[in-house]
Amino acid sequence: MLLEILLILGTIIFYFLRSRKKEETLSFKEGWWGRGQKPDTEEDATIWPFKVETTEKDLSDLYRRLDEARFTEPLEDSCFHYGTNSVYLRKVVSYWKNQFNWKKQVEILNKYPQFKTKIQGIDIHFVHVKPPCLPEGQSAKPLLMVHGWPGSFYEFYKIIPLLTDPASHGLSDEHIFEVICPSIPGYGFSEAPHKKGFNSVSAASVFYELMLRLGFSEFYAQGGDWGWLICTNLAQIAPNHLRGLHLNLASVTNMGFTHLLSILLGRYLPGLFGFQEEDVRRMFPFLKKGLYRILSESGYAHIQATKPDTVGCGLNDSPVGLAAYILEKFSTWTDLEFRNLEDGGLERKFNLDDLLTNIMIYWVSGCIVSSMRFYKENLQKGIGTQKHEKLPVQVPTGIASFPNEVMHTPQAWAQKKYTNIVSFHLMPKGGHFAALEEPELLAEDILQFVGKVEKEQLWRKKGE
Amino acid sequence: MWLNTALGVGGMVVCWLMSRRKAKRLEVGDGWWGSGERSLREKEDESIRPFKIETSDKEIEDLHHRLDRARYAPPLEGAAFHYGFNSDYLQKVVAYWRNQFDWRKQVEILNKYPHFHTTIEGIDIHFIHVKPPYVPHGRAVQPILMVHGWPGSFYEFYKIIPLLTEPARYGLGDGDVVFEVICPSIPGYGFSEAPHQKGFDTRATARIFHKLMKRLGFKEYYIQGGDWGSGITTNMLIQVMLGAYVPWLVGFTREDVRRMYPFMQKNVYDILRETGYLHIQATKPDTAGCGLNDSPVGLAAYILEKFSTWTDKSFLHRDDGGLERKYSLDDLLTNVMIYWVTSSIASSMRYYKENLSRDPALSDNTRFGVYVPAGIAAFPEEITHVPCCWAKMIFKNIVSYSYMPRGGHFAAFEEPKLLAQDIIHFVRRVEQL
Repeated sequence: MLLEILLILGTIIFYFLRSRKKEETLSFKEGWWGRGQKPDTEEDATIWPFKVETTEKDLSDLYRRLDEARFTEPLEDSCFHYGTNSVYLRKVVSYWKNQFNWKKQVEILNKYPQFKTKIQGIDIHFVHVKPPCLPEGQSAKPLLMVHGWPGSFYEFYKIIPLLTDPASHGLSDEHIFEVICPSIPGYGFSEAPHKKGFNSVSAASVFYELMLRLGFSEFYAQGGDWGWLICTNLAQIAPNHLRGLHLNLASVTNMGFTHLLSILLGRYLPGLFGFQEEDVRRMFPFLKKGLYRILSESGYAHIQATKPDTVGCGLNDSPVGLAAYILEKFSTWTDLEFRNLEDGGLERKFNLDDLLTNIMIYWVSGCIVSSMRFYKENLQKGIGTQKHEKLPVQVPTGIASFPNEVMHTPQAWAQKKYTNIVSFHLMPKGGHFAALEEPELLAEDILQFVGKVEKEQLWRKKGE
Repeated sequence: MWLNTALGVGGMVVCWLMSRRKAKRLEVGDGWWGSGERSLREKEDESIRPFKIETSDKEIEDLHHRLDRARYAPPLEGAAFHYGFNSDYLQKVVAYWRNQFDWRKQVEILNKYPHFHTTIEGIDIHFIHVKPPYVPHGRAVQPILMVHGWPGSFYEFYKIIPLLTEPARYGLGDGDVVFEVICPSIPGYGFSEAPHQKGFDTRATARIFHKLMKRLGFKEYYIQGGDWGSGITTNMLIQVMLGAYVPWLVGFTREDVRRMYPFMQKNVYDILRETGYLHIQATKPDTAGCGLNDSPVGLAAYILEKFSTWTDKSFLHRDDGGLERKYSLDDLLTNVMIYWVTSSIASSMRYYKENLSRDPALSDNTRFGVYVPAGIAAFPEEITHVPCCWAKMIFKNIVSYSYMPRGGHFAAFEEPKLLAQDIIHFVRRVEQL
């Protein structure tokens, strides 16, 4: 009898240990994304400063296109239910032509130091902001912040000062950061890959190389939208270099039987599935807040994941079309209720200068097509099929869950993938573009997360 | 599945029209699509007004300027048409468009058939009406209503019309079956006014087209449309799975099996890969259409991609999308120009939202059968193949079902003779019944 018990216990312990020691990592993805053949010479690793520039020619071409834009009258009473309302769009275009000052915005863009460096054959653009002053004995913690689509490095311009100089903004200066915001290859001022296959793991590998090149062997990473996935992959590729991972989006793409069960029964037995009251409020009724919402809001992802060059073509040629396409997301993903407003509620949370600056980054760099290809490279085989989707993340993770995200992921689901969640907060307000819309809330959450990780030196104890 | 339905917008309209003429009728209803409130005092103007398509120097110059300053993004190395329309090839198309395509000449070609406008339910409906030049004594002329789809137009029928109005001349029989052809533009497409109100779907279209035929004096007529609606049901899924092993048990023919399997690859993946446009148009048509109404190059890429992939799936592997193998650039660009000069791309896309936003399972197509005699021409390169036994779920009276030897989605444009032959064969059967 004793022997049997020991054998059973031994087997259980053996399996337990085995599954814990199995620190699955994602491999770093080598690649060459430049034009033609990879040269035999070693890659030039210099980092050179970069400034956004504009010319009179660019501006007059833009204004001509704005002047000659052809609009289609919206259906009566359609608000934003059919997409961006062209009556409101005309107002935006009028502002764009007559009041928006691109030269001034370029100066604003250039207020933070920007650089470029060649990695895996393509030029990577990034912003690198160091703290203006550091208290005695303190060192700045490197923080990589990755944007998404249809955003850009510009989304971080309001939150950067809160992280590099928290004291001046009424925040605790226990932790001060130097912030690195790269542009994903194919977005903004980063060169677009010339070869097929550049996906989130490729981007994570490129950014990993970037951080190493900048001399950081340990750093924090923060992201939402594609930034969420790229930073997650980074945590899977290089867990020993990442002290902590902070996300303002945490999708779970590897759905299993428990997920399905929790969808069917979670509303009635929340406790059984680890749902909090707020989770239930945000997720149910599931057909309405989950399935139909995804269907009605994912058309763009479907077409971008299959025919990016087709859909991007007109947008690269019509600034008004580009604005309509991008602004629709800044409206709906900030608050789904904005679909019921004639003006899409855009100016309630953002100002037109910021929105147009982001759009101008896509326009002047001509990157809308390459930005869309990222969807195909990541999604063409389907959701939940890739290796990294099945691997867990063991790096200490902090999640800020904003209420107006299109889909809510409860902690109960997130922790199946992010096995080391140090903080998970249901934020009181805000949507998808958290850094631009609620910079203080997001900064506070990042600071408290880093505080926890540093205090308990959690980065030393990964995987427990 | 319901996606199938949407691939053939014209087919849905046809379905409606056909399902109306049965004992168990659908509710007809009425509608008002003009701006503002309908004036109850004024009686609708029922006149039929001749119409000629026109163009101007200004219009052509504006187009040329836009083509000249088009901005392209280079394609990925080795991408062919797998990422959508290849921009290297697009530049060649645009060069032709700018330097050789003659819009004035094409407008003359468009005007060779008589065009008309008439106001129905508050909007101007455009149509062409072509009568046979010569009718043998005592022969009946069959009126046929031909409905285009997206991203096509009435122009798709220009090659098949003569084969139907003068079949003997083209070796299609001895003139026992002769047609007069009516091709309207769906409201929101081409020269038909776009509805100003929400809710304009296939039911409304069918009703308007029926009123049109009545106004033209036809009590009975034939209808032709691309594709045809069908809804996927559990029944069909079971058949699919069994059909791989025992097709005869399920009712699939050998040709059905050849066209449908491997099922996942040929149907599910292909459908997902090819329906991004449908998804975005059914949810955000005004966003999707905005840039396309402002960039003729973007519009051409978007529309011509369909003429490539829906004609032959293997064209995805070609750098030039195989477009010029089956069509001339003049014809393709004329169709694109119809969308461009009428600024109708956004309204054409709204049609998807109006039809697909409701629960597809509740769509009347799947609830009511079509009892009118039906003829089906199944072209091999259609995205999905629908076997006869599935079609029977909706079309209860299939008089002819033909496996066409070649051709894709734009049958009338690509294989007008094959299609005309099948139409005539079908009508012969019906008339002798």
